[in-house]
Amino acid sequence: MENHPKWYFHPVLIFISSVVALAASLFLYIYWYVEVSSGLKDVVRRYNLDTTRFYEAQTWVVILVLSILVGIILAGMLIIFIYNQKTLQFYRLQHNFINNFTHELKTPVTSLKLYLETFQRHELSREDRLKYLGYMIRDVNRLSDNISRILDLARIESRSHEGEFIESDLVQIVEAFCKANTHLFQGSDIRVHNPSGSAFVYPVNVPLFEMLLMNLLTNAIKYNTSERPIVDIRFVPQKRRLDIQFEDNGIGLEKKEIRKIFKKFYQVGRSDDRSAKGSGLGLYLVRQIVRIHKGKISAESRGPGQGSIFTLTLSLRKARAA
Amino acid sequence: MKETGKKRILIIEDEEHIAEGLKFNLSRQGHEVMIAFDGVSGLQKWKEWQPHLIVLDIMLPGINGFSVLQSIRLADERLPVLILTAKGAPDDRVRGLSYGSDDYMTKPFNLDEFLLRVERLLARVTWSRGEEKTGPSQQTYHFGGNEIDFNTFTARCRQGTIQLTEQEVKILKLFIANRGKPLSRKHLLEIGWGYTGVTTTRTVDNFIVRFRKYFEDDPQKPLYFKSLRSVGYIFDHD
Repeated sequence: MENHPKWYFHPVLIFISSVVALAASLFLYIYWYVEVSSGLKDVVRRYNLDTTRFYEAQTWVVILVLSILVGIILAGMLIIFIYNQKTLQFYRLQHNFINNFTHELKTPVTSLKLYLETFQRHELSREDRLKYLGYMIRDVNRLSDNISRILDLARIESRSHEGEFIESDLVQIVEAFCKANTHLFQGSDIRVHNPSGSAFVYPVNVPLFEMLLMNLLTNAIKYNTSERPIVDIRFVPQKRRLDIQFEDNGIGLEKKEIRKIFKKFYQVGRSDDRSAKGSGLGLYLVRQIVRIHKGKISAESRGPGQGSIFTLTLSLRKARAA
Repeated sequence: MKETGKKRILIIEDEEHIAEGLKFNLSRQGHEVMIAFDGVSGLQKWKEWQPHLIVLDIMLPGINGFSVLQSIRLADERLPVLILTAKGAPDDRVRGLSYGSDDYMTKPFNLDEFLLRVERLLARVTWSRGEEKTGPSQQTYHFGGNEIDFNTFTARCRQGTIQLTEQEVKILKLFIANRGKPLSRKHLLEIGWGYTGVTTTRTVDNFIVRFRKYFEDDPQKPLYFKSLRSVGYIFDHD
């Protein structure tokens, strides 16, 4: 069971009560100050000293300084509060990720072990043997995919990729990638459109860019309930930038999800009932790769069941349209 | 350990490879095996096919394994259920056992151990079959001035004696098992009807209206079947 802290330890409550305490103390500072200074004024008046103007000016200066200081404290508290909330949220996502990823790792291992023990236990017909060996190979692939995804993440985060940029034509890379990986996209259509017909040469890190393509395309096919998944890749040159759009006919996205999908460990759906699939790393990797290429990525969708469009934007300043 | 004879075993597991491997091994033991790849079809096959044992995964698409188990336990206390899951934390084990699973194994598991445990569970069912007809367990339930008889599916209430449908009895059992605990519409629908949350929850509301008409002195001011705003319902009595 999760440890539920007592309600009075709830960060929001603590935050609100300290803001209230701070506001009250500001009020009291000013109130008491005014009282004291009016007492002083009485003294001044009694002894007929002509310094009233000096006191009045000072009162306002004191109030102003106090207010500014309290304002700064308030801002600091707010920042710490927000930071704390973000950390908590990240912790929860990470916890979720570990749970899910363990499942992703354990499932193929379980299957492999099950078949190995079956082979040990029974004399199998050739037909069965081939079928189960096929399963085992797929399990090994699944396992190694998961492992390489974690390694990719580590590689990208440690920034060991710098200085590997090669000027290349993006259209060519995308087309070559689709051709080389047809076996992965069987049963679906991936179409590349380049209406301008020109090449777009851009300094790219080819392995990273391919990782990006792989993640976007497998997502488009995996989260897809259409009879035949279709992905349209369009090169749309704008004035000072190049947009590459990935449009699919998949399950689409909800408005409130769009902001979150690029976050590390974030998954659409709940982990408890397996409506959340995958690792929660794919699109985070995509965003990191796009950042390395000094570009931007955004997602849009007409709503659940209506497909989604991922747009990769690269600035054309450094690129030359050949 | 083959003396238990041919038995029907239902595997509810969304990973095709694991389900196939289990099916192969259990068939080799001489059992009849069926696979369901999600919770909803699992419940359906359990009702239609009447298996002797269920091997249940927890992380399933749609309705999760815990809900499937609770749903089964409302209708059948004795059916052996073996949970086989990657969730191995002590909390999950306790949760599974508290919902009434007979055994709990975590993945990756040892095949020999799994098969032995299955045979053991099946053997125990054969032994206890004799008692089943003689020992009447708790069959009536009282609250307020109402009495529900689970044997005859009847209730004595302010409307006199009425006949209850099977579904009504099931939902009543669910409320009684969770007395004093709030139940969400989604949860009621999942366990009571075996639907996922997508279906309209109006069905649940209609049942509550009916229960209030049967059992409440004033259906407008319910004492037993109370609404909880934005949560669902709660059943309680003195």
